Amino acid sequence: MNQWMKALTNGIVRANPTFILLLGLCPTLAVSTSVDNAFGMTASVLFVLLAANVIVSLLRKWIPDRVRIPTFIVIIATLVTIVDLALKAFVPPLSKSLGMYVPLIVVNCIILGRAEAFASKNSTWHSVADAIGMSIGFGVAILLVSFFRQLLGSGSIEAFNVRLFSIPGLADNPAAIFLLPMGAFFVIGILLALFRWLGVSECE
Amino acid sequence: MAKPGRGAYPILFLTVVVLVSVVALTLIDGITSERILEAQADEVKQMLGSLFPSLDSYELSNDTGRYAVLEDGSRIGIAFMTQAIGYGGPIDILVGLGPDHTLRGIRIISQQETPGLGARIVETGFLDQYVGLAVDDLALRKDGGSVDAITGATISSTAVTDRLREAILEMIEEGGDGP
Repeated sequence: MNQWMKALTNGIVRANPTFILLLGLCPTLAVSTSVDNAFGMTASVLFVLLAANVIVSLLRKWIPDRVRIPTFIVIIATLVTIVDLALKAFVPPLSKSLGMYVPLIVVNCIILGRAEAFASKNSTWHSVADAIGMSIGFGVAILLVSFFRQLLGSGSIEAFNVRLFSIPGLADNPAAIFLLPMGAFFVIGILLALFRWLGVSECE
Repeated sequence: MAKPGRGAYPILFLTVVVLVSVVALTLIDGITSERILEAQADEVKQMLGSLFPSLDSYELSNDTGRYAVLEDGSRIGIAFMTQAIGYGGPIDILVGLGPDHTLRGIRIISQQETPGLGARIVETGFLDQYVGLAVDDLALRKDGGSVDAITGATISSTAVTDRLREAILEMIEEGGDGP
């Protein structure tokens, strides 16, 4: 159990995929324009990562080394297609606003990276913990980025059509630059610098 | 268990993985394809309903790509999609026309304009200006029409307004199909 918790917490802080491993930056930069998108992306990544880790760890004794990467990609692409179809069928608005970035989970390095580095070498039980931990780590990161982008870029935070709060002067005249792609780089750069300064991300 | 890594085994293994994937996706597609079509139809109906609150049903003409909007079986208007070229890329617009080719309203279906400036074309304050306008009024105020441009987004406002005028004129010229 101790090992299991270790595998779980590993992805949240010590090896946070976004802020420390710097993996999966493309969706973090692209869909972090609103908190809703961040939740949708996190849920999609959680499903794909969990299922990919489970399948890869179950098959790890049979996957031949020479074709392991193509095997991982086929498994991941199948799962991503399932998510994409399910989103289109059951939550079309979310599917529309995530757009291209759901199919692009296939090439999200977090998922291939965990299949290669963890699930293909560890038990299914531990791979589940790793997938949950990494997804939480990714979710925290993308939520943090989208929180600041939405707050500064539109002056208020709305999640699932509920307005949580707004900043008086900023809501009328928001700094729209934070909703533009360059705003994502600003926010993520400042957060990375902050975490390094706080000493959270000192490991290699 | 030993991992056989040579000979035909890797090829066979990968073939089996792909086959399983194909079967799984076929099943999922069977479950979702109907729902996806329904969701798309719902979206069209909802959008037409926001332009024509009294709509009962609509018919899509395959020849012209236009929607005839029906109430109690008789036609109360017509709607169609058109595309303007804005500052950031194409702007897809759903146009609703009542009798005499006056606008019942428009909806922006998709756009990539600058957030905070051009992207404000989706706001009701801008869109409501078009309700009830005739073709001759369809121009920005500085060009002699009656549409106020969004401050700082003249290009986006012009693109939408000019495209609307052209699209409606084209439709009138083609004749027929008017409500």
